[in-house]
Amino acid sequence: MSLLSPADQQRLRESFAEMTRRVRLLFFTQTLDCETCLQTRQILDELPALTDNVIIEEVNFVLDKERVQEYGIDRVPAVAIAYDIDGAVTDSRIRFLGTPSGYEFISLVHAILLAGGRESILTPENRIRVAGMTTPITMHVFTTPT
Amino acid sequence: MAFANPAITAYAVEATEFPDLARRYMVTGVPKTVVTASAGAAPVEILGAVPQDDFIEQTLSASSNQLS
Repeated sequence: MSLLSPADQQRLRESFAEMTRRVRLLFFTQTLDCETCLQTRQILDELPALTDNVIIEEVNFVLDKERVQEYGIDRVPAVAIAYDIDGAVTDSRIRFLGTPSGYEFISLVHAILLAGGRESILTPENRIRVAGMTTPITMHVFTTPT
Repeated sequence: MAFANPAITAYAVEATEFPDLARRYMVTGVPKTVVTASAGAAPVEILGAVPQDDFIEQTLSASSNQLS
């Protein structure tokens, strides 16, 4: 049974219908010692049913050291958002650490739509300011599900 | 913002699931955003939801903290 109500599924279907690029959710997980990995997988599994433009790639956190390092993941569950351009997988550098439920689920949907080609909510002025920054920075946005 | 600039990496962190990260970044309320320049400069903290212009301003100030 779906975790989403039929109305929410329909809303998401309509939003995802505007995507112009395929988005890959790289789901970093491990079998043991991860209380919330299964729950995260169940939430992510809701999405490919609503659009052909979202696919989930499970990455073994223990075994796939190459991608763990490439995407800078140091804990699970984690989701890295990538998208396809001209057949190449491009990292959006947006990651979710922990279960994407509640408000985090909404943020995840927004990130998918952005990677999928939707216009940024940044104003044109702010986009230019952000694009002009040359120092690498890391942002951690802390939230709770409620 | 990460989408607008390859120099930016953004993590959305579920704070209750990772108390070690919440402690490291001294998270006492949410939402809280911590912006760190890779060079190891003092982080900039943005508390709560703030207007976009302020958010950008404060984020950009993190990069100017570099090597200070």
